[in-house]
Amino acid sequence: MSEVQTVENMVSITIDGKEYKAKEGEYILNAARANDIFIPAICYLTRCSPTLACRICLVEANGKQVYSCNTKVKEGMEVTVNTPNILAERRAMMEVYDVNHPLQCGVCDQSGECELQNYTLELQVDSQSYSIPDTKRETSDWSSVLHYDAGLCIVCERCTTVCKDMIGDAAIKTTKRGGASLDKAWKDEMPKDAYAMWNKLQKSVIAPSNGTGSTDCSDCGECIAVCPVGALVSRDFVYTSNAWDLRKIPAVSAHSSDGFQIYYEVKPISIDNRDEKIYRVTNEWNYVSLDGSARFGYDYENRGVTKDKKAFDLAIEAFKKAKTIRFNSMITNEEAMMLQTLKEKMGIKLYNPEVRAFQKFLTLYADASGHSLYTSSMEDSMKSDFIVSVGGALRNDSPGLKYAFNNVQKMNKGAGLYFHPVGDTLIPSFGKSVSTFTHKVGLEEATLYLVLALFSDQDKLDSSVKDYITELGGKEGLIDLVGGDSKKFIKGFDKMMKKKERFTLMVGEDYYYHDRADNLAKLIALIEQTAGFNVVMNPPKSNALGVAIICDLDDNAEGYTVGYNEIGDFRLSALGDGDLDIPAFNQQEGTVTNLSKRVVPTNVALDYGGYELNDLMKELIDDAPEETIDWTKRLPTDRGYRAVEFDSLDNYYDNAGNEHRGYLLNVLFEERDTPKVEKFYDDTLLDGDIVYRCNPPRQFNDFSAKAHQIFEPFGLYVSSSKAESLGKKVEVVFDNGTIVVDVIEDKKMEGDIMALSDFKSAENVYGLFDGSRYASVTIKEV
Amino acid sequence: MDSTMLPEVTAVGVIIKAVLILAVIAAIAGFGTYIERKILAFMQRRLGPQHVGPYGLLQLAADGIKLFTKEDIIPQHANKIIFAVAPVITAATAFIALAAVPVFPGFTIPLVDVYVPSIASDINVGILFVLGMMAAGLYGPLLAGMAQANKWGILGSARTAIQFLSYEVVTGLSILAPIMMVGSLSFVDFNDYQADGTWLVVYQPVAFVLFLIAGFAETNRTPFDLLEHEAEVISGYVTEYSGMRWGLFFIGEYANMITIGVIASVVFLGGYNDFWIFPGWLMIIGKIAFSFFFMLWVRAAWPHVRPDQLMWLCWKVLMPLAVINVVITGLVMMII
Amino acid sequence: MSLEQFKNRNVGTQNYVKLDLAHTPTTGWGQFKQVVGRTFKPELFVGLWVTFREMGNALVGGKMHTTQYPFEKLPISPRYRAIHDMLRLMESGNYRCIGCGLCEKICISNCISMETKYDENQRKEVSEYTINFGRCIFCGYCAEVCPELAIVHGPRYETASEQRASFSLFEDMLTPIDKLNLQQEYDGFGAISPNADENIKPTPLAY
Repeated sequence: MSEVQTVENMVSITIDGKEYKAKEGEYILNAARANDIFIPAICYLTRCSPTLACRICLVEANGKQVYSCNTKVKEGMEVTVNTPNILAERRAMMEVYDVNHPLQCGVCDQSGECELQNYTLELQVDSQSYSIPDTKRETSDWSSVLHYDAGLCIVCERCTTVCKDMIGDAAIKTTKRGGASLDKAWKDEMPKDAYAMWNKLQKSVIAPSNGTGSTDCSDCGECIAVCPVGALVSRDFVYTSNAWDLRKIPAVSAHSSDGFQIYYEVKPISIDNRDEKIYRVTNEWNYVSLDGSARFGYDYENRGVTKDKKAFDLAIEAFKKAKTIRFNSMITNEEAMMLQTLKEKMGIKLYNPEVRAFQKFLTLYADASGHSLYTSSMEDSMKSDFIVSVGGALRNDSPGLKYAFNNVQKMNKGAGLYFHPVGDTLIPSFGKSVSTFTHKVGLEEATLYLVLALFSDQDKLDSSVKDYITELGGKEGLIDLVGGDSKKFIKGFDKMMKKKERFTLMVGEDYYYHDRADNLAKLIALIEQTAGFNVVMNPPKSNALGVAIICDLDDNAEGYTVGYNEIGDFRLSALGDGDLDIPAFNQQEGTVTNLSKRVVPTNVALDYGGYELNDLMKELIDDAPEETIDWTKRLPTDRGYRAVEFDSLDNYYDNAGNEHRGYLLNVLFEERDTPKVEKFYDDTLLDGDIVYRCNPPRQFNDFSAKAHQIFEPFGLYVSSSKAESLGKKVEVVFDNGTIVVDVIEDKKMEGDIMALSDFKSAENVYGLFDGSRYASVTIKEV
Repeated sequence: MDSTMLPEVTAVGVIIKAVLILAVIAAIAGFGTYIERKILAFMQRRLGPQHVGPYGLLQLAADGIKLFTKEDIIPQHANKIIFAVAPVITAATAFIALAAVPVFPGFTIPLVDVYVPSIASDINVGILFVLGMMAAGLYGPLLAGMAQANKWGILGSARTAIQFLSYEVVTGLSILAPIMMVGSLSFVDFNDYQADGTWLVVYQPVAFVLFLIAGFAETNRTPFDLLEHEAEVISGYVTEYSGMRWGLFFIGEYANMITIGVIASVVFLGGYNDFWIFPGWLMIIGKIAFSFFFMLWVRAAWPHVRPDQLMWLCWKVLMPLAVINVVITGLVMMII
Repeated sequence: MSLEQFKNRNVGTQNYVKLDLAHTPTTGWGQFKQVVGRTFKPELFVGLWVTFREMGNALVGGKMHTTQYPFEKLPISPRYRAIHDMLRLMESGNYRCIGCGLCEKICISNCISMETKYDENQRKEVSEYTINFGRCIFCGYCAEVCPELAIVHGPRYETASEQRASFSLFEDMLTPIDKLNLQQEYDGFGAISPNADENIKPTPLAY
């Protein structure tokens, strides 16, 4: 869907005597999978680099034995999946994997979905030929969520691979096990590849890469997802349920704007209480990588709610006298449509501080570029080879774009530039071709001018722009201005630019709140036009894109306010503390518009017994439909949505990795003149103590805060150096208020800018920042 | 026994006798259920009732209590009056029949000097009366079945009607031959006829067998228990009955069994005459007991017949045989 | 029976004994003959004799058949499948159940539920286990599938009680620790076959 497969880049190969088409440059394994042919493979992960740890994907290609996970298809290639020798190798490998593997399938959490079990059966291993003394391998907890049982580990390295190639944390690695060494006699007795595999396996075990007992990572839990055996399990899930007892419900991750496909896995709470609860969240790890909020922030449901008619009647009254509805982005498209309908029919203002700035910026961008929406997506950026990220704390704001940024470096031999006022130590570790620029707050336009200077086709640029760049000192001057070392950078830049074809610009939340957002939007449009960049923007949270497109938001709230999961005179809340209970996100069905502009369906994971917004709608307006999902086909077609039934939306990935989830928003293109960009002023620079509105990774809103496996507290996150100068607790004085918060050290931050969390709506952090993402503040010790 | 030597029969004596019959026979009828269960159990090598009282003897009392305390259900669409009266008819006719049957030898109550006759009412057409009363007993099941508004009930009562009416003929014809020989319809005369020790069964074996078969049919015993055959008509005419109403049917049936036993004993088996060293009262009790036992024994041993076989047997086999028997008896009597 | 005979599935040619049924008479005369025949043959009296004889056997010959159930009980087969027992390990007294959940999975009437947790000894602990005896059909699959021979069918077939729940919790089914020495090894459904050792290939050991 996302990519049109043209005939030109397809080659034909023969697998087991049948002819198939495959994408040029594809690995044999992926080509086979796309054609529904099974080749056994344990260590390979679709979007990561081949590790060759398991060697079980051996095939014969053009008469030579090769590993199908790292051999690319060629026109006319003849592949044989099974030859007697390969079958012997595979069986030997599986026997080796079974050597000393604890016989505890009965209690193992992976039992039933274990690849070791599956392949042992698949390759019909019914006896064991090999043996070696076992090493004692300890069970340990790596972090607040990760539980590692080294005894069960088969060192396939999927966890380390995904952590490095996809997540970017590279928090775990293979280390020495200190086991008995292999008897050389085996070398002659057993198949060659199996011996080599065993030799490596016998020496290795997985451990945190920082040398301590615990990982220093974002706790995304992707290593748990990819683990083929029961070695890596979430601490919360250990020994609580068998895989087959859990019912999988396809849904959409709720907190970040990535809108990953997830499965809620539910079963009854206990023998006494047959109400269901979510035991864990799983994902199609070959095609989707989750962040910590998606994987662990699942138990925020509004439990035990019954229909409270009294509260319902009060809510109707409240809506009737309401002047404003205040809400956030944790809302489905359907509910957003309901609120928009209320605005149209009853004239109620819609106030959403999270999304309003983004919405304005989208409009500015659309005006400047002629595109109704940004053109790229997360998946497309993953296919690019040069990524420039501006205006967003990638690690905190958008896990999906962070993964894409990292994956491009690892898989596409890509390069990247990262511009942000807050220093980050993780981003440079993504690859050698990554340069980070820690610029001053207020120089956002300068960064874009630098991008223009570096990447634009100078012929296409207006002379006034070129003159202005020259005036600023050309590339060198701009590099120095935004905090880089021009001499060093220019030297490396040519190398960075080698063989680069697809460029992506990632735009973050800072820009939406910028004073001169219109100029930024024009600059972005100009970059898109002149430098061949694709642009992807990070909607601030959850369904911010859906809200931005569907709702006509107002700039401020006034009068009697109904809060929808937000503060207000009458509060509808899924957190259980409002005046009327409403279902939480995991108790709702509906659609979400994710970062990739895809309208994706989500389903009900847990029962909800109370009233929902549509019940109010039925009282408030005349033509409200019966069910919430009946609104799906009412989504505005003039803004890119389609009038389709909810139940007709797909929700799966096929074997080729193509995404079949809902549909893509329709983006309209109009020809526009080159945008007239303006100069910038450096008198807007902030100085003194600067506070940045930014959440810790895994925290996005009240709901992620409610989840019991997300531990990141609300507070003021600062770099190690800054933490020393501050106490444990400080009072942050803004122009229009103060807040007393704990100081929390974030070892991956650099510089003096402090990050204040905003995920608790009750703290009204948006109000303190007053329509900006940075603020000059006074810090007082408490 | 010389009838002229008998003391005068007073009204008090008759009433006492009637009460005696009612009490004893009702008790025996109830007790019969216990005996039946016990005998059938033994014949099937089971133990039978065992736990209520010694050897389960008080099972009868337990059943009685159960029957009395059970909820009395009258179906919604039943004819309530007839439904209520029908069981009473069955029980009453059964007991009334016993009025003309010599049950025990007569005796005099000491001290008060009241003579209790062996027969409550020694009418000279005793046999006719008994057979008539038993025939009138048909009204019980017939009305019960028709009153209860239940298809099984009506089927059961229809079966009852044809079975009773048909076998009435055989009973009458079979007993006609002995009557011809004795020349009286009084039970006392029958008894006296056999006083010389030669039982009438010796002269009339065919009549005896026919009477026995017909007796089984009239008392609704195996192998002719088709009236309430569960597999076909649930419980027949008692389908809708419960509690003591149902119990009355039961008592009536057992009383009839005793009546048949008495008739068979008196008419064919020597009555209450002394025999060898055994006194007459013991003999009659023994004979009645045996015929009762025989009915149970047959039930344990034989399967029952089909309704069509029942009719076929009656009209094509038994009735002609009975007629032939009467003719031959007449011829023999004429010749001798 | 020889193997050839056993394998012969052609039922028509096998040594079945057919009932010697006489022909049903079709004519009236035939029927009459049948009735007369049956009447004068002592057929009916044989029936009477048999029942009378059996009564004699029962009362005098001591061949009474009844077992007075609550007071006398017949021995039951060790393979009888009644209320489940949870066995313990003889050596340590720990319960055998490892909480693998296979019984829960295989149960065709879906009546087994269990709760497990990660205990302080880093082991899987069964914290709660119930069988809904209102639904259990005593098929024996749970005992069959149990890898530890922990859940077995016991001899408690008297399943009447005021609360069926009183059989169904883990503690109720578990062998009482003070009666561990009385615990019988189960050789019923799912037990290891006597020749199990011959049927497996040993795994080489490096020690």
